[in-house]
Amino acid sequence: MAPEVNPQAGLAESLNLPAAEARPGNGRSPKALLKSVFREDRFFLILSVFIGVFSGLAVVCFRFAIGWGRLYLLGTGAVLSPTRLLLAPTLTGLVIAVLVIHVFPLARGSGVNQTKAALYIYNGYIPFRTAIGKFITAALAIGSGQSLGPEDPSLQIGASIASMMGRRMRLSRDRMRLIAPVGAAAGLAAAFNAPISAVLFVIEEVIGRWSAGILGSVVLSAVSSVVVMRLFLGSESLFRIPAVQLERPSELIAYAILGIVGGVASVVFSLGITTFRPKFKALPRWTQYFQPALAGLLIGIIAWLGAPQVMGAGYEAMDEAMHGRFTWQFLAILAALKIVATLFSFVSGTPGGMFAPTLFIGAMLGAAVGGAEHVVLPHLTGSPGTYALVGMGVLFAGFLRAPMTSVFMVLEVSGNYSIILPVIVANTIAYVISRGLQPIAIFDVLTRQDGLELPSMEEQREEGVLHVEDAMRTADGLVLDAQETVEQNLVKVEPAKEEEFLVRLPSGWSSVSKQQVRALVDAGKGGASLGSQLAIREIPFLHPDLALETALRYVDRWPLVPVVSRADVRHLEGVISQRDVLERYREFGES
Amino acid sequence: MVELHEDMPITDRRLGLRLSIKQQPVMLALVAALGVLFFLAVAGLSRAYHAQREALGERWFSRGVADLNGKRYDSAMTEFRSALLYSPDNFDYQLNLAEALIGLKRTGEAYSYLVNLWEEQPENGVVNLELARIAAQRKQTEQAQRYYHNAIYAVWPGNQEEKRRETRLELIEYLLSINLRAQAQAELIALQENLGDDPAQQRRVGELFLQAQDYEHALAAYRLSLKIERHNEAALAGAGRAALELGQYSLAERYLQAAVAENPNDAQSAERLKTTQLVLRMDPFRHGISVAERDRAVMEAFAIAGQRLSSCATPKGPNVPATGQPNLADSWAKMKPTVSRQELRRNPDLAERAMDLVFEVERQTSANCGTPSEADQALLLISQSHEGN
Repeated sequence: MAPEVNPQAGLAESLNLPAAEARPGNGRSPKALLKSVFREDRFFLILSVFIGVFSGLAVVCFRFAIGWGRLYLLGTGAVLSPTRLLLAPTLTGLVIAVLVIHVFPLARGSGVNQTKAALYIYNGYIPFRTAIGKFITAALAIGSGQSLGPEDPSLQIGASIASMMGRRMRLSRDRMRLIAPVGAAAGLAAAFNAPISAVLFVIEEVIGRWSAGILGSVVLSAVSSVVVMRLFLGSESLFRIPAVQLERPSELIAYAILGIVGGVASVVFSLGITTFRPKFKALPRWTQYFQPALAGLLIGIIAWLGAPQVMGAGYEAMDEAMHGRFTWQFLAILAALKIVATLFSFVSGTPGGMFAPTLFIGAMLGAAVGGAEHVVLPHLTGSPGTYALVGMGVLFAGFLRAPMTSVFMVLEVSGNYSIILPVIVANTIAYVISRGLQPIAIFDVLTRQDGLELPSMEEQREEGVLHVEDAMRTADGLVLDAQETVEQNLVKVEPAKEEEFLVRLPSGWSSVSKQQVRALVDAGKGGASLGSQLAIREIPFLHPDLALETALRYVDRWPLVPVVSRADVRHLEGVISQRDVLERYREFGES
Repeated sequence: MVELHEDMPITDRRLGLRLSIKQQPVMLALVAALGVLFFLAVAGLSRAYHAQREALGERWFSRGVADLNGKRYDSAMTEFRSALLYSPDNFDYQLNLAEALIGLKRTGEAYSYLVNLWEEQPENGVVNLELARIAAQRKQTEQAQRYYHNAIYAVWPGNQEEKRRETRLELIEYLLSINLRAQAQAELIALQENLGDDPAQQRRVGELFLQAQDYEHALAAYRLSLKIERHNEAALAGAGRAALELGQYSLAERYLQAAVAENPNDAQSAERLKTTQLVLRMDPFRHGISVAERDRAVMEAFAIAGQRLSSCATPKGPNVPATGQPNLADSWAKMKPTVSRQELRRNPDLAERAMDLVFEVERQTSANCGTPSEADQALLLISQSHEGN
C-alpha cells in the first residue's frame, strides 16, 4: 500500500521548515506564533521601545529634579544673592561628597565610561543603585550650580534602566552586553532632544561599530525616549537657534580660524582634566569630603565676581550668546572661566556630565572668535549664532573626539543644512589639532586612569587595515602556460628557486608544483599539454584591495594564490602565499 | 578584551539561558503596566513643575511691568530676565525686557532681543517701531524707514488706527530731522488722507507741512482746523505763516491779525504781521492802487535800496564782502535823478526798471551785507512775489 502523502508536510520539508510554520494562511498554532513573535531578536526590539519609554520618563524626572534643585538652592531670580551664590554650591558639595563616598560610590564621573565598561567588562551589568545615585547626586550638583551637564548622567541612567530590564527579562549574555548602549542612546537622546546625535554618539563612542543587530534597537529606544520627553518638555531644541547663513564661501576661512582656536582650547581643557584628576584622586581620602565643596565655592566666587553664567549646565547663557547678547571679550572670558569651573567640578569627583560644559565653552569661544573677526573684517556675514553653533561642534569634535556626532549634532540642533560646510571645516581642523597635540582621547585617558582597559574607539577607527596588495609579490617566472606541453613547462620551472607555480587556464587559474611537473615527465606524459594533466582544475583568486585577513582563508589550502585585477581576472597583479601574509603581519606588528 | 569579574555582584548567573517563552508575554505586560504607572506619575509631576514655573514667570513679569511703568528700568530688566528663566520663548517677556534695555540705553542688547522677536512676529507693530527707533539712533536710515513702514502697516494692540497714525507722525519727524523733506511730504500727504477732522491733528500736520516747506498743504491743514476751531491761535498763526510764505499777503494779514488778537504775546506772529503789512504797503505792483500811490511806492523803494547800498559800502566785518555793489551803486546813482514823480509819470516803463534795480540791490545785499532791515525784507518778499507772478 502506497504511503499517504501530506502535501503541506512536503512543502515544509522542501523549505527545511517545521511543518506548522509552512502552513499557508492562519494555520499556525498559538505556541508557534508566540515563539515566532518572541524570538529573542524581535523581543529585543520590543524591549528597546520599553527601554526608550522608561529612559525618557527618567530623564524627564531628572530634568525636573535639576530645575527644582536650582529653584530651591539658588533661588528663583536671574540675579542671585551673594550668600546663596557662595553657600549653595559649597554646602551641596559637602552633601554630594558624603553621598558619593558612602552611599553611591559608582555615581562618580560622567557616566560614559561606566556604560562602556558595562558593555566590555561587566556583560551589560550596571547596578540600578548607580542610576538612583547618579540621579540624586547629579541633580543636586547641577541644581546647585556645579559646572556640569545632565547629558552624560542621563546616558548612564538610561543604560542602567536598560541593564535592569534586561536582567529581569533574562536576556542572553550577548543581548545583555548590547543592552546598556541601547539604554544609553535612549538617555542621551532624551537629554539632548536629538535622537540622531544620540544614536551616532553611542555607535561612535560606546559600541564602536555599525552593526545591523544593534542599530535597530538603538534607534528605536532613542526615538521612543525622545517622543516621551517631548510629551512633557516640549519639542523645542535646547537652544533657540537664530537664522544661520553662509553667504560667501570665502568666509570658510573665518570658520577655519575658529577650528584652530577650538582645537587648541580642547587640548587645554583636556590636559587640565587629565593632569589634575589623578592629583586630586591621590590626595588623602578625607579631602574627598571637601573637594566638591571647594569646587562649588570656586564656582560661587566666579559667579559672585560677575560671571554667574558659568554655573550649572549653562543653556540660558548659550542661548544668549547665540543671539549676540554678549561682547566678544566677555564671551572669551566666559569660555576661559567655564574651562576652569568645569575642570574643578569634574576632577573633584562631583557626578555630572561633560557634554553641556563642552557645548558651553564651544558656543562662547565660537561667538567670541566670530565677534573678534567681525571687528577686524566687518563685511563678514556670519551671525554670532552661527559662530556659536559651529563652536559647539568644534569643541565636541576636539574635546570629546566624536567627529561624526559633532557634525550631526549641530545639524540636528540647528535644523539648518546650510551650516554644514562651516561645521565640517572647523570640526575637522579642531579634531586634527586635538588628535595631534593629545593623541589619546579624553575618555580613554580617564578609563586608563581608573585602571580599566576599555577599547579605544578612536584607535579602532584609525587603526591601519592591511590589504592583500600590502603582502603580495610580483609573479615573475611563476606563471606557466596550460597550452604548452609538460616538458616545455619543466624547462621553465627547473632553474627557478620556487617550488610552486601558477598555471594560466583559459577560464581562470590553477597551480602546480615543480615536483608534480617532474613526476608527469617521469610518467611519460611530457608530450601532453600541462592543462590536460592538472589534478586541480581551478583555484580561487584574490583582488589587491581585499583585506589581508581574507587571504588567510585561502593561503593554507593553496600554497600560491593569484592576485588578479577586478577589471580582468586573467590579468595577474601578483601572487600571495601563507609566508607572505604572516611576514607582513609580523612587520606590521613591529612597526 | 571581555572579562568576567568573579567578585562582581551579577544577580543573574543564568545569562546564557534561553528565555522562557511562557514568561516573556507576562513580563512585557508587567513592564507595560509599570510604564503606564510611571507615565501617570511623571504626568502629575510635570503638571506641578510647569504650573510652578509658569506662576514664577508671571510673578516676575508683573513685577517687571510695574517697574517698567515706573521707569525703574534696572529693576525691570532683572525681573524680566528672571521671568524669562521660566519661559524663555515668551514673546511679552522678551519684548518688555527689550523695552527696559532701551530705557537703560543698552540698545545693542535690546536690538538682539527685538531682532529675534521680529523673526518670530514680523508683523508686530511694537517690535517694528522699537527696531525703527534703534536703527534711527544708529543712523541706519534705510533700515529705520523700512521698520517704520512695517510698523505703520503692522498689527497693533488696542486702537490700531491711532497707533499707526502716531507711528507715521514719528516717521515724518524722523525724516524731517534728517532733511528728507520730499519723503516727509509724501508721508504727510498719506497721513492727511486718513486723518479725519480732528482740529488738533490737523494743526499738527499743518506744522509738519510747514517744516517740510509744503506751504499749500500746510495752509489747507490749518484751514481745516480753523473750520472747527475758528479762534485757535496756533492754527491762525500757522495759517498766517503759510499764507505769508505763499505770498498771499492779504490772507496772511487777516490770519496774523486774528492770531495776534487772540494772543497778543505771540511775538513771531506780530513780527510776521508787521512784515506782511509792510509788503502790502510797499508793493507798487499790487492791484487797485492809484498811479500816484504807485509812484510813491517806487520812490520809497528806490530810496530804501539806496540806503541799503550805502550802508553796505562799508563792510560790517571780514565776512561781509562788498563785491558787486560798486556796479549796482553806479546804476543806482545813474538812475536816481530820473526817479521822480514827474519822470515816473512821463515814462511808465521807468517804474518797472527802477523796481528791477531795487530788487537786484536787495537780493545782492541780502546775500552779502548781513541781516536786512524790515523794509529791505519787505522789498525782498515783494521781489519774490513779483518774480513768481
